[in-house]
Amino acid sequence: MATMQDISVRNAAEKNLAQMEGKYRGLLEAAPDAMVVVNQGGEIVLLNVQAEKQFGYRRDELIGQKVKNIIPEGFAERLRADGLRSVEDALAQQIGTGIELTGRRRDGTEFPIEIMLSPLESSEGILVTAAIRNISVRRDAEKHLAQMEGKYRGLLEAAPDAMVVVNQRGEIVLLNVQAEKQFGYHRDELVGQQVKNIIPEGFAERLLADALRSAEDALAQQIGTGIELTGRRKNGSHFPIEIMLSPLESAEGILVTAAVRDITKRKKAEAHLLQKVEELNRSNEELEQFAYIASHDLQEPLRMVASYTQLLSKRYTGRLDSDADEFISFAMDGASRMQRLINDLLAYSRVGTKPMDLLDTSSEEALEQALINLRGAVAESGAIVTHDRLPTVLADEMQLVHLFQNLVGNAIKYQGPGIPRVHISVSKNDESKWVFSIRDNGLGIDSQYFEKIFGIFQRLHKREEFAGTGVGLAICKKIIERHGGSITVESQPGHGSTFRFALAGTK
Amino acid sequence: MPIEVLLVEDSPGDVRLTQEAFRDINRSVHLHIASDGVEAMIFLRRQGVHTLAPRPDLMLLDLNLPKMDGREVLACVKGDDSLKTIPTIILTTSEAEVDIVKSYQLQANCYLNKPVQFDAFESLVRSINDFWLTKVKLPTRGKANE
Repeated sequence: MATMQDISVRNAAEKNLAQMEGKYRGLLEAAPDAMVVVNQGGEIVLLNVQAEKQFGYRRDELIGQKVKNIIPEGFAERLRADGLRSVEDALAQQIGTGIELTGRRRDGTEFPIEIMLSPLESSEGILVTAAIRNISVRRDAEKHLAQMEGKYRGLLEAAPDAMVVVNQRGEIVLLNVQAEKQFGYHRDELVGQQVKNIIPEGFAERLLADALRSAEDALAQQIGTGIELTGRRKNGSHFPIEIMLSPLESAEGILVTAAVRDITKRKKAEAHLLQKVEELNRSNEELEQFAYIASHDLQEPLRMVASYTQLLSKRYTGRLDSDADEFISFAMDGASRMQRLINDLLAYSRVGTKPMDLLDTSSEEALEQALINLRGAVAESGAIVTHDRLPTVLADEMQLVHLFQNLVGNAIKYQGPGIPRVHISVSKNDESKWVFSIRDNGLGIDSQYFEKIFGIFQRLHKREEFAGTGVGLAICKKIIERHGGSITVESQPGHGSTFRFALAGTK
Repeated sequence: MPIEVLLVEDSPGDVRLTQEAFRDINRSVHLHIASDGVEAMIFLRRQGVHTLAPRPDLMLLDLNLPKMDGREVLACVKGDDSLKTIPTIILTTSEAEVDIVKSYQLQANCYLNKPVQFDAFESLVRSINDFWLTKVKLPTRGKANE
């Protein structure tokens, strides 16, 4: 019976084949997929070369056989009528949709397939054409991605930043919870979407190959460097971000992992800092202006006080009583001291307000000019001032003279009994700047005053001991700071002092 | 013959100091005072209350003055053919480079700073007297503006 049946099916099939051969053979063979035509009994009536290849059978081994032999599950069942639907309806439900099933080769191995069904009318009734595509490559890719997801998911979620993995077409393939939060999207809304949706500019462009570079090179150029861009949330709001890129090899090719950091706070802090620095600069400038204007305007009334007390003294000393003479002398002394203070304050504020002229300057000539200005003090004290050969430096000449004059002047002034000896030497430091040392054999300074002496109007001695307003070293400090350096002192009471400052050499 | 000097100065203290200094140095100096720029120009042009004013042999001019400042006075004087031969000395507290340059551009004859101490001020007035009123040859009065 079974044999009889087989033969009758085969005969019918042969008849069909002969009928359809002419009509469809060409079409079937031209299809890129394996094609199998099946009748409503689930028997194969026609197939193409690709089907032979894919399943490892010769054509005559399959014709008349149950399609279950090559697609064990899910295909034949779909063709059957049941209590609820006719064959046509059953088929109609499947038409055109891709159904993922498993194919079985002659050698018993299985592989994933996707089939697309379409009806084919014939004298035997409705036949079904199945286009069968081997999707093992696609499945592998999906599996790989799933594997990768598994591997990296933990890492991604542990990252403190939003992490977005993008392929070379600029599509998001993976992201973490932080990224969902930061951009306000649900994961499903982003996976498969262009990264441009959340980072409109500067990211996707960086991944593209162009005439000058391959995709790998394009990426390599960006790896590891922080790039500041703008992010866009789902609600359309923008925020500043910094992204760090790193490559991730996958079956799909190189993917790019981007760590996206919201830098709103940092940007605000930077702006705040910038504003504070500007405010500070402005307030410093105003203060310097104020010191200048104040000291200048103070001179006017002072001139009156000083001039008239002097006139008073000139005309009336000895003509009033001795108390009057003493009062006039105190008033004159106060006026002249105030004049020195104002002059020094003016000099101090001028150091800060005058534009600097940084040029190649011979420090030796500057020192010599300073010594000429100090001629009187040197002669009076009998001081011996010696110096090394001094280099050419980058400085404002006037200010350098002023600096030497103040420092050497101090060295001569703050002396005990005996002959003042001052030596100016120079050496190079590790930043190859010239370090000047002004060493004296004077009174020396207690280390607790090392900072204080550079403050304005700071003095360590009584006026009767040493005259002065306490501005000289403040001016020195300001001059050096304007030259981008600092001034220090090394000293011990009774063992002299050494003042040091550094200046850049010539270019 | 008295020497006519116009002092343009708004500070009474400075006016008095200048008067005191000339009193000690040269009693033949006749010091006329204008306390702002407008009054200075009225004096020089012999207008209003100054119709009988003499033509000054020398003018001492402060820069910072009310109404019309010293720079404007200087520009007017040196732009006026009948007044420009009057030697004009700027006497100011300003040490600003811009003031010095501007004054010479406007043809000031010299620029002096007021010293703080009376001794120094007196010695400056003495220098003015010795040079501008003694050694310098000035045009004869009445011929200068012809």
